[in-house]
Amino acid sequence: MKWKKLGQIFNPINHSLPNNCVEFSQSPQALVFDNFIRIYFSTRVKDKVGKYLSHISYVDMDKGLRNVLGVSANTVIELGSLGCFDEHGIFPMNVVRDKDKILAYTTGWNRRVSVSTDASIGLAISSDDGVTFEKVGKGPVLSSSLHEPFLVGDAFVSIYEGVYHMWYIHGTKWASIVSENNPDRVYKIAHASSNDGLNWNRDNHQIISDRLNTDECQALPTVVFFDDKYHMFFCYRYATDFRKNKNRAYRIGYAFSSDLVNWTRDDENVGIDVTQGEWDSDMLCYPHVFRCDDKIYMLYNGNEFGRFGFGVAELER
Amino acid sequence: MLFKPQEITGRSWLKEFAQAPSVLVFDDYVRVYFSCRPLPDQSGQYTSYSAYVDLNRDNLFEIMNVSESPILELGELGTFDEFGTYPVSVIRTENDIRAYYGGWTRCESIPFTVAIGVAISHDNGESFTKLGKGPVLSCNIDDPFVLSGPKIRRFNGRWYLWYVAGTEWLENEGKPDAVYKIRMATSEDGINWVRDGRNIIESRIEDNECQASPDVFFHNNKYHMFFCYKYSLNFRKNDRGYRIGYAVSDDMENWTRDDTKVGIDISKEGWDDQSIAYPHVFELDGEIYMLYLGNEVGRYGFGLAQLEGNLS
Repeated sequence: MKWKKLGQIFNPINHSLPNNCVEFSQSPQALVFDNFIRIYFSTRVKDKVGKYLSHISYVDMDKGLRNVLGVSANTVIELGSLGCFDEHGIFPMNVVRDKDKILAYTTGWNRRVSVSTDASIGLAISSDDGVTFEKVGKGPVLSSSLHEPFLVGDAFVSIYEGVYHMWYIHGTKWASIVSENNPDRVYKIAHASSNDGLNWNRDNHQIISDRLNTDECQALPTVVFFDDKYHMFFCYRYATDFRKNKNRAYRIGYAFSSDLVNWTRDDENVGIDVTQGEWDSDMLCYPHVFRCDDKIYMLYNGNEFGRFGFGVAELER
Repeated sequence: MLFKPQEITGRSWLKEFAQAPSVLVFDDYVRVYFSCRPLPDQSGQYTSYSAYVDLNRDNLFEIMNVSESPILELGELGTFDEFGTYPVSVIRTENDIRAYYGGWTRCESIPFTVAIGVAISHDNGESFTKLGKGPVLSCNIDDPFVLSGPKIRRFNGRWYLWYVAGTEWLENEGKPDAVYKIRMATSEDGINWVRDGRNIIESRIEDNECQASPDVFFHNNKYHMFFCYKYSLNFRKNDRGYRIGYAVSDDMENWTRDDTKVGIDISKEGWDDQSIAYPHVFELDGEIYMLYLGNEVGRYGFGLAQLEGNLS
């Protein structure tokens, strides 16, 4: 497999976004229309206590992914009210067409005291071509459970043969590192299935093997079917010292499956890596793979978790 | 007044409060589980533990034993029950004893949230092991936050869990208070629960009435629920605090509230002259009793009442 980088295609600094968001366009996710591609991403604003709130915005681009046609003018989805799972941010948001509706699986964030945050997965629905989304309820559709104790997020949903498949992540432990002030977390990729997109049955086990070590953090799975196989891309990193140390930061990993149950990890074949001297020289993260006409693209973030926008690569087959 | 935590010594984790009593009857004694607290930390924050006291079956006012340590450990960093296990509801099954409990963690914009955990005992209920690091009942679309106050029962081979779910956090000038209502979940195995997000007990004193401790007792072919309710704001140390309410049902789905029949109120003076809360009703040797909390939601312990007349 080989991905040809087409470069950075969006930088939030150059645009005026709703909710006074100025930096970051993280975890880009595509919704393909006849004449354009709508790309949702998470951007940020600082609240009155000086902490970030993540909001969803989108940019419409031409199908060549070269030209920006416009950005969202208004709020795409509201953050939750006081005490709700998504009170302090939505990041990311995965969109999937389901008959005449567009479903959005959100990761909602809420701040904690002994650890920085927790997360759960919510569901919202759009009936105006994805300009705005209404939540189906105040609470999440997937949250902590007996064996997935916290940090349930990063949903990616696809419908195969009438069954809704969700790949997502959940925390396994919070680790206090003596040298740093705040505890860091470990999370792994899991899978759940559903007949209606609302009620989910979890497999309850880790589906992608670790490569770095048992504390490897795995995030943002995205799955696409081609050449008779299911292909999963995700990002992974070390659990600590991953923000500024490029050798421990996020890279993109790869696994394949013929049955959506058993996955073989094969990072050697991922076909994409950092590029020296470029916007993605130290880090690659938050991949989103999608099909447009006859091509397969990967949207992804580069250095600093997407502070300076996102780029795209095209699969060469 | 049956049990006063301030009279117990040698347990740093049991200094104040004896909340949400729940019984397990043994041959010679009645084991009453309750939740208690050590002194607050330097910033005034509490943690809560659960424990038990064994009462002489022939004289419930005689304390035979108090647990040497809490029945449950607090959860590890970042888990739902890191800061408290309260309240706890205990039930015997064919092979073991199970405890359902509220696990507490601390939040930034609101003071706390709660989810329901489950643990199992193989030593007659002296200690419990959690079935997982996470909760068995957590927030979902209809139950967005603060799932607490579990009361576990089995009727006709099915598992029933009455609990409360938060419906709203009120801003309250920067000191948020939650509104919570009584709901019911059912299960075939006690692990996988079905919920419908319905408030099963109508509110009486205000729309934002807070309801807790939905204690269900089957007697004379009917299901009787005793619970407690209070105003949502400004309810501490005044007459807006908890009172005990009553509802009755033939099928556990449809409940008729009738607080006029509850038959218990605050006392004119004494440990329960301001509020009464967290009722638990049980039958013992032909009599029906209620354990309940007095002023300040059990800060000074719990007491006992005996039914005169009939539950019909």
